[in-house]
Amino acid sequence: MLILRESYFIYVRNLKTWLAQPWMIVAAVLSSAFMFLFFGEPLRGITALPGFPADDYQAFLAAMVIVMAVVFSGSDMAMVLLTDMMSGYVDKLLLSPVNRFSILLGTLLIGGTRAMAQVLAIILVASAIGVRFEGGVLGILGVIVATTLLGVAMGCVGLIVAMRTRSVQVTVNSWLLFMPLAFLTSAFMPRDLLTGWFQVAVGLNPIEYIMVAVRAVIIEGWVWDSILPGIWILLATTAVLVGAATYEYRRATN
Amino acid sequence: MTNGPAVLVEGLGKTYPGGVRAVDGISFEVERGEFFGFLGPNGAGKTTTIKILATLLPKTEGRVEVAGLDVTRDPKAVRQAIGVALQEVGLDDLSKGRDFLELQGLLYGLSRAEARERAAELLELVGLSSVADRRVGSYSGGMRRRIDLAGALMHNPGVLFLDEPTTGLDPQSRIAVWEHLEELNARGVTIFLTTQHMDEADRLCRRLAIIDHGHLVAEGSPAALKAGVGGDIVHVAFNSDDSADDRVDAALAAVRDLPGIRQADFAERGLTATVSDGGAAAPAIMTAFQDANLSIANLSITRPSLDDVFLQHTGRQIRDSDADGDAEDRMWSQWMGVNRR
Ligand SMILES: Nc1ncnc2c1ncn2[C@@H]1O[C@H](COP(=O)(O)OP(=O)(O)OP(=O)(O)O)[C@@H](O)[C@H]1O
Ligand SMILES: [Mg+2]
Repeated sequence: MLILRESYFIYVRNLKTWLAQPWMIVAAVLSSAFMFLFFGEPLRGITALPGFPADDYQAFLAAMVIVMAVVFSGSDMAMVLLTDMMSGYVDKLLLSPVNRFSILLGTLLIGGTRAMAQVLAIILVASAIGVRFEGGVLGILGVIVATTLLGVAMGCVGLIVAMRTRSVQVTVNSWLLFMPLAFLTSAFMPRDLLTGWFQVAVGLNPIEYIMVAVRAVIIEGWVWDSILPGIWILLATTAVLVGAATYEYRRATN
Repeated sequence: MTNGPAVLVEGLGKTYPGGVRAVDGISFEVERGEFFGFLGPNGAGKTTTIKILATLLPKTEGRVEVAGLDVTRDPKAVRQAIGVALQEVGLDDLSKGRDFLELQGLLYGLSRAEARERAAELLELVGLSSVADRRVGSYSGGMRRRIDLAGALMHNPGVLFLDEPTTGLDPQSRIAVWEHLEELNARGVTIFLTTQHMDEADRLCRRLAIIDHGHLVAEGSPAALKAGVGGDIVHVAFNSDDSADDRVDAALAAVRDLPGIRQADFAERGLTATVSDGGAAAPAIMTAFQDANLSIANLSITRPSLDDVFLQHTGRQIRDSDADGDAEDRMWSQWMGVNRR
């Protein structure tokens, strides 16, 4: 199909652009390693709390490091698109006879790829510091597939921000938008041990269910009761956000 | 390509969100194979018009057909038929020059082999072969314009839209681009070019439209437009210390009384007169100066330039407005987040 051929060309171009900026990749991996270091070490004692589900706090933390990295990658995608908009390259693509949606698809797919690469790197770092993945190789594959999808979904949020605002000052700060999504979660402590409004807010955050599922695969293995809600919510969130980004994109390019 | 002129514009108007009326009901046609110029000062509406013709910007009203196709109903076919190089080159700084061109080719439906071959050919043509494998971000301003132009040519379009293609080029590269455009035109490519340079319009375009504040103020061949100014320009320079003198007033009065003089004024330490026939009027003008006891340093007779045409139709010099203001505004609005559509 023509649209796939065109999307592929645009995807490869986006991939080259990303690989041409190795510092982006190094920084992404480093920031994840820092998370293990700066949160994992001081909070190690939490595992002694009654009711804490894991013996190894780094293993507990791994889900948070993975999901958080992917959530914040949405902000990077906003900047990626805005850069192309400001350089006029998006106009160049729009002047060509390619299907409008090939351009969108080629961009969303790079969001997924970046998320996937980053998650892979985090899993390597986690293994290096001794985290064991109870879900096994299949579990790791599952986590990678799920977080790639999440990367696409968060990329959609970033694209909407860039297209709506067309503004550098808003877009460079768009990580603020992702902060509640990432932190209103059981990132550091299981939900049962949280209290008050925070616990309520965590229950309303879709990202929480995805994080719970990823964590289950890592520290417990295939516990479907924890995993299935995460899968449904991930699929629903992705569908809604891809729909919203497509709508916004159609509006912006007409 | 289908039938019809290369460009057909009828009653085209564009009001930007926010209320700026950039194009206010213009109509014109460009024949196939023509070299057509769109001449106007900063903010006249040139870029707005070209973006509408190139399907990048929606029009507010009017009818626009390019290559015989309606830009609103059939944008994809229009895009395939045209090549576009915008005023703000839209380059991908992190890609290599060659990759940029090859991708352009692929997006217009060339096969990989065709794209590779055509890119090499165009790199040669625009003189960028030696830097083809360097990142576009490292190119100079002139090189960027040239790679952008090459990108617009990848799919051999029948109609070419160029928005100020030589702005920012050194004189040598400018002439190289001109020669290349003339060659393309000779091969049958229709060219629609905007410019604020009179000399460029004069040299290249077989026909021009002059746009100012969103209106077309004149249209025709450069020769016809200049003939419309009516006659020649005679400029007489005399010694500067004489300029405050009574003798100058006497000379001016005498010149104004001569037959065939349309207009005579002091300008630039001398006298500038518009006359129906410069050769015939010059001796009488010299006599008038002699009678007033003024020594002439220099006398020149020139045909009117497009500058004079612009002056005649708008009462202003095209150079009055300043080019950098717009670029700064653009930076600022991008930073602040302004809807650019
Ligand atoms: N996105 C926009 N939103 C609002 N007004 C705009 C926009 N783009 C252009 N304008 C306004 O429309 C008018 C015409 O602008 P345009 O860019 O078409 O002029 P131009 O003839 O290309 O000028 P220049 O020689 O400086 O490139 C100007 O008053 C400009 O400020
Ligand atoms: Mg312009």
